[in-house]
Amino acid sequence: MAKPSFLGLLLIAPALIMIGALFLYPLGFSLAAAFTEPGGGLSLTHFQKAYELYSTDILFTLFIVVVSTLLTGLFSIVIAGILTLSETPWLIATLRNLYRWPLFIPFIVAAQCMRTFLAKNGLMNNSFVALGLMEPIQTTSFLDWRGIIITFVWKQVPFVTLMLAGAMASIDRATIEAGRNLGASRLRVLVELVLPQVAQTLLVGLVLSFVTMLSVLSVPMMVAGSQPTMLTVDMAFRINSYGDYATANALGVISYFMAGTVAWIYLRHNVKREVQA
Amino acid sequence: MRNSLMAAGLAAFLMTNAASAQTLNVATAGDQNMVDYIKDYLGPMFEKSHPGVKVVAVGTGPGDGGSQKIFEKLDAQKKAGANSDFDVVVIHQKAAGTMAQDGLIQKYRDALPTGALVTRDTATNALGTDVTGYVMPMFHSQTAIAYNPDLVKNPPGTYAELRDWAKQNPKQFGYNGIKGGMSGVAFVTGWVSAFGGDAAKLEKGPYDAATKATWDKAMADLKAFNQNVVITPGNAGTLDMLNRGEIAMGPVWVDMFYTWKADGKLPPNMRLKLVSPGMPGQPMYYAIPAKTAQNKLAADFIALATSPDVQAEGIVKRFNWYPGIDAKNLQGKLDQAAWNQLFADIPPDALAANGKPFPIGPYFNDILETYEKKVAN
Repeated sequence: MAKPSFLGLLLIAPALIMIGALFLYPLGFSLAAAFTEPGGGLSLTHFQKAYELYSTDILFTLFIVVVSTLLTGLFSIVIAGILTLSETPWLIATLRNLYRWPLFIPFIVAAQCMRTFLAKNGLMNNSFVALGLMEPIQTTSFLDWRGIIITFVWKQVPFVTLMLAGAMASIDRATIEAGRNLGASRLRVLVELVLPQVAQTLLVGLVLSFVTMLSVLSVPMMVAGSQPTMLTVDMAFRINSYGDYATANALGVISYFMAGTVAWIYLRHNVKREVQA
Repeated sequence: MRNSLMAAGLAAFLMTNAASAQTLNVATAGDQNMVDYIKDYLGPMFEKSHPGVKVVAVGTGPGDGGSQKIFEKLDAQKKAGANSDFDVVVIHQKAAGTMAQDGLIQKYRDALPTGALVTRDTATNALGTDVTGYVMPMFHSQTAIAYNPDLVKNPPGTYAELRDWAKQNPKQFGYNGIKGGMSGVAFVTGWVSAFGGDAAKLEKGPYDAATKATWDKAMADLKAFNQNVVITPGNAGTLDMLNRGEIAMGPVWVDMFYTWKADGKLPPNMRLKLVSPGMPGQPMYYAIPAKTAQNKLAADFIALATSPDVQAEGIVKRFNWYPGIDAKNLQGKLDQAAWNQLFADIPPDALAANGKPFPIGPYFNDILETYEKKVAN
């Protein structure tokens, strides 16, 4: 093994310092603050308060993010599968041109659009009414948990699809051809031949989506009312209205815990694969 | 190449220098209408009377959260021993009390030419804290229940009637909880005053930490009430839903209501009702940070903002707020039609009887926290 050169260390020093100063230090600080009581000793009082005030919101956040991640995975597999296996050229061309658009739209803009699109008398319901599919009295507002999930899925599907379609394009086509020649349906080829080969990429995409959705503030704030709401909104409220960083930090630790769990699943999977290889 | 780079750098340096010498930074909490008021109306007027000065308006967000951000910035700059880079701040009552106690804002009202025009007790008392001299009310605003007369023929006159109405008409009443702006907060504190027992004690004190235990029944009722209502996303969210006919009634700020109506964002037939025993209202305050480089300009700016002409034309006529200075100073500055418009739905006697202050600081915090614990969670 080569000795670490001084010059090499110097080269990565700026990056290390940035990570240390802008990420590790604040992370450690907020972790410490979450477990420290006003007097200075270690305590769980902030977690107790976070639980008393926001236990519903913690479950709500978990529910929203898990459901959104599963739906994102499902839609991404369908779109990427069509792009890879479909034999209808115009369908592929249309899908390929359309599916990336939401990637370029920020969460806050998406939230603003959904706010008028999904409202009770919003664009979507008004279109249904105008088409005669619905009576005005039957319309319901989707501006609650469903609105958040719809926005998240709409926003994250292109991201995961982009990764997944790329991975599917690079697998050995011979495996697909072989399956088709032996009479397997395209669905069976997708599920039994293609998906196992790209499962790793799918997992990465979904883990990244999970963590992204966990941290979005604008969507739950703008799309849904505040009861129940996601942890990001509660954290912002604790800080903005009370300057109560301790409880906000406790909520943050709970978020780290959720994100950490999926990261752990991902890492474990990765290590297992490396051991096999 | 090098020379042109240096020239560009020098030019940029000169420009920032010139700008910082004559820029008046006004930070305002509250909804977008607050920023609009300073950016579109007051700022240009001040720039005209003070050539070379540029007014920059910064919005810090709705509700007490907006004021909290101003507090944090001033507090951090004070601890660092630096001049604050806000020259004028526009803040809510809760923050004004804290900032005056912490010495983050200065006593300036007595030296202000318009200082004597203020008569309401909110100029000296901010939610139980003495702020005499530290603040100048920019305006007073009031919350009330907005309703759609096509859907509601006989609007409820009291909180109790409103509670029954919401039960009979599920999902027709909407408010924004307590995290989306002050109209929802006002509705909740009004609810506690109406059903929680001693309303006068909430407004005047003294504070007794045991009081919040007596709200259990009121909070449980509010939780049941919430089952029949829509929780809207924000002050503007309530108005949006009223406009689209998705709800028939909801608490709003009177000024926002009139402004939206004037802009055609609400149907012209919408009405207001101030239910008894009362809903809270509040002033926004102009204040000057304790250490700022632009003391003189800041005081001039506030003097202009609280002059009878600006209060009549800007505050009452354009933005539909109640004046911050005593209304009798506005006589002759305002045509009768504009004056009547302001009191069309809520006559002055109803305002005097049912327009309440918010509870004092500690009770206010207790109400919000109990709400989160017992109602929202």
